[in-house]
Amino acid sequence: MSASSLKRFTTGTALAAAGLLVAAGCGDGSSPAQSPVLDQIKLGNSTPAAAGQLDKAIWFMPKEPRSLDLDNDAANSQSDLILANVCDRLLQLQPDLTLKPGLAEKYAWKDATTLVFTIRQGVTFHDGTPLTADDVLWSLDRHRADGAAESDEYVNVTGVSKTGPNEVTVKFKQSDAVFVEAIAGDAGVVLSRKGVESQGKKYGTPAGTDACTGPFQLKEWQSGKSITLTKAPNYWNKPKAAKTDEITFKWGSDDVIVNSLKTGEATGSYLENLSSATQLATGGATTVSQGPDTRVWSMMITDRGGLKDVRLRKALAMSIDRAGVAKAAFSGLGQPWKEPVGSGAWGYEKDKFKAAYDALPGLPAKPEQSDLDAAKKLVQEVGETQPLIIASDGSPVRNVIANAFVDAAQKIGLKATITQIPTAQYDPYDEAVRKSVDVLSDDYFVSKNDPVGFYKNGASTSTVQWLLNDPAYDALVSKGRGALDDAARAGIAIELAKKWSEAMPWIPVVDSPSTVALSSKVTGVPASGCYRYAPWAADLGTKGA
Amino acid sequence: MVALRRLGAMVLTLVISSFVIFAGMYAAPGDPVAFLIGNPENMTPERIAAVRAEYHLDLPFLHQYWIWATDLLHGDFGSSFVYQQPVTDLLGSRLPVTLSLVAYSGVLFIVIGVLLGVVSALRKGTAVDAFITGITTFATSIPNFVVAVVLISVFAVKLRWFSVSGPGEGFLGRIHHLTLPAVALALGAIAVVSRVTRQTMVEQQSLDHVEAARSYGLQSRKTVLRHVLRNSLGPIVTMCGLILAGMLAGTVVVEGVFGLNGIGSLLVEAINTHDFPVVQAILLYMVVAYMAVTVLVDLIYPLLDARVLARSVS
Repeated sequence: MSASSLKRFTTGTALAAAGLLVAAGCGDGSSPAQSPVLDQIKLGNSTPAAAGQLDKAIWFMPKEPRSLDLDNDAANSQSDLILANVCDRLLQLQPDLTLKPGLAEKYAWKDATTLVFTIRQGVTFHDGTPLTADDVLWSLDRHRADGAAESDEYVNVTGVSKTGPNEVTVKFKQSDAVFVEAIAGDAGVVLSRKGVESQGKKYGTPAGTDACTGPFQLKEWQSGKSITLTKAPNYWNKPKAAKTDEITFKWGSDDVIVNSLKTGEATGSYLENLSSATQLATGGATTVSQGPDTRVWSMMITDRGGLKDVRLRKALAMSIDRAGVAKAAFSGLGQPWKEPVGSGAWGYEKDKFKAAYDALPGLPAKPEQSDLDAAKKLVQEVGETQPLIIASDGSPVRNVIANAFVDAAQKIGLKATITQIPTAQYDPYDEAVRKSVDVLSDDYFVSKNDPVGFYKNGASTSTVQWLLNDPAYDALVSKGRGALDDAARAGIAIELAKKWSEAMPWIPVVDSPSTVALSSKVTGVPASGCYRYAPWAADLGTKGA
Repeated sequence: MVALRRLGAMVLTLVISSFVIFAGMYAAPGDPVAFLIGNPENMTPERIAAVRAEYHLDLPFLHQYWIWATDLLHGDFGSSFVYQQPVTDLLGSRLPVTLSLVAYSGVLFIVIGVLLGVVSALRKGTAVDAFITGITTFATSIPNFVVAVVLISVFAVKLRWFSVSGPGEGFLGRIHHLTLPAVALALGAIAVVSRVTRQTMVEQQSLDHVEAARSYGLQSRKTVLRHVLRNSLGPIVTMCGLILAGMLAGTVVVEGVFGLNGIGSLLVEAINTHDFPVVQAILLYMVVAYMAVTVLVDLIYPLLDARVLARSVS
């Protein structure tokens, strides 16, 4: 799960129609004109800090979590959203997407293949027992066990051992900078061994409880209804103790989330469907903020063969009207984007990454005539081509992207059609699906705020792209993972981005920033994509003292 | 004897439907493995093979059915692929929501539907009759999700009389929260029931025994209650039973719009994620619920009309 996680949009259900009607029915006469809405949306890593303690919050999300055991493959992004507040990790992700010490008060590379964590003293689990190095050791071993969701983060790890009363050492077969970032995610969660083992099969289910040290503790999971967290009484990091006494998570469709926020029944929600944001940015009852995230919608090119020639992929990449897609499918809340991973990945050396991004050629926001001419030339060079097929599932975003693809193809002299695949079967990772179409559109995000964390997917062993197969790229990935120095790693990441862009196994379309809607009475939560792993709810509080 | 035959038929129905349901899920396109593994970056061939073996997905169809059916006979519905919880737990927390919604809706459409039908029949040909017929015709023509959306935007968002989502706490809370969804679900049914009631009552009114009762000088109220309405109850009960049975399986859309975590939303999610054990259990529940309602209707018949009992005994 850690390396990246796929989120499936399910807006293509029968309820999509109902959603449109709600939008029409609830408009208080205010027309959702583009610019006034965009003006209302605040940008930044975080919403303004809270001043006072909030007694109760109701937080909405699109689905019920499937498990509250993060090592279980069933755990989904809702599990992350909740447990980010319940479970501390060895390192802690910050709203600006940098890392700070967490349950490890420090960490150091003793040599290129030895990483030493010094475990913080005086921390207790929610059941009152003290945190020990043995718990850390047991937790890391649990994460790296075969079949555990996080095991892929531990590919280079050869062993974990306790090397002192408060010291845990990880040994690697080759140095691995990405591992340190993963430790701030689900791969670095510290669990109480006794707490987990005493629960047996109940752990992670509605019948179980948590076994962590975070600013909130699990009070109750009523299956099919709600999940409630309460403020942990003796949180080790006093200044970061929760500003909310109790937070209850509920779930519902986009309309339910919008209506609940509008009527004040909900305190807030991280929105997955950006078009909901336009209804919440105006009206005064709610505020909407956006921050950087890694999520990007791309056209994933399959191995069916229609786009086997890289010149065709490049020609299409030049001709897609990204600005049009951003406007039509994301109400202007997404940005035309040139890389398959968003700016939230720039957790270090931000300026370098920004400059390299700006310099990437051949991916215009809105194609000019010169782009189209260059694309046409590439297509003519290739000569005879077979008709292309792009799949949609009828959901608004995929429909818009599919239409943009067909439009671009026709402009440069390629034949393209759209085929519909039901949402339930719309799976780019299913070989049978890939055999039937040339292009599938999907959004993708990575858990680490490091471009290397995404671009490792270009390796020939990757299961998420099917065209790039280049030993030089593979070597660069392994070099990137091993580069412990940030500046050196940034250089390699930029090199990887260039190579990816030259091979274009996915065509990037629109960046989908992290978006949070809040009742206008509260503030404090991060707006950036850190909410999957950082204790965001602890910062939620009232505006006035 | 009749009861035994009946029971045998029900068991046979269950067995056949369980097989059809299982076969249907097996034949459905798509692969549950994608959902069982979750992270596409973990989808190595070894992992896929391991997961297939763990969930018996690598066995032949009949063997899989056999495992499922024998577990079922031991009262074990299995565990959800997606939630990793026993299916009985998942259903246990969601059934009350759906059942209370259907019960509430049932009360609404039966009481209001029959009442409107009676009034309409007694005032046949008047403006009241025309009004009721017109309104109910209009009501049947609106799909229930549109009704639901309008109800939410008017009564929950604008007027704030009702809650936007959730099933509510306690009996009164439940009634309060479920009022809008129950109305949305019942509206179409009210129209059908009032039409059936009106039609059968109008037919009954012109029958000889009613004329005779009237000619004896029996009070009009008593004539209506004892002769017209009572004899019309057969078709009305049949119709209400059918609608109710359909509702037990048809709450999906209303549950979704009102953010209720009931059986309907669970079924849709389970289908979308190829969660076989959950889909199978819910479809079986629907078959059982349908059978239960029809049996109930059959048991009510003799109470309404002694001739039914006499016929079945002879």
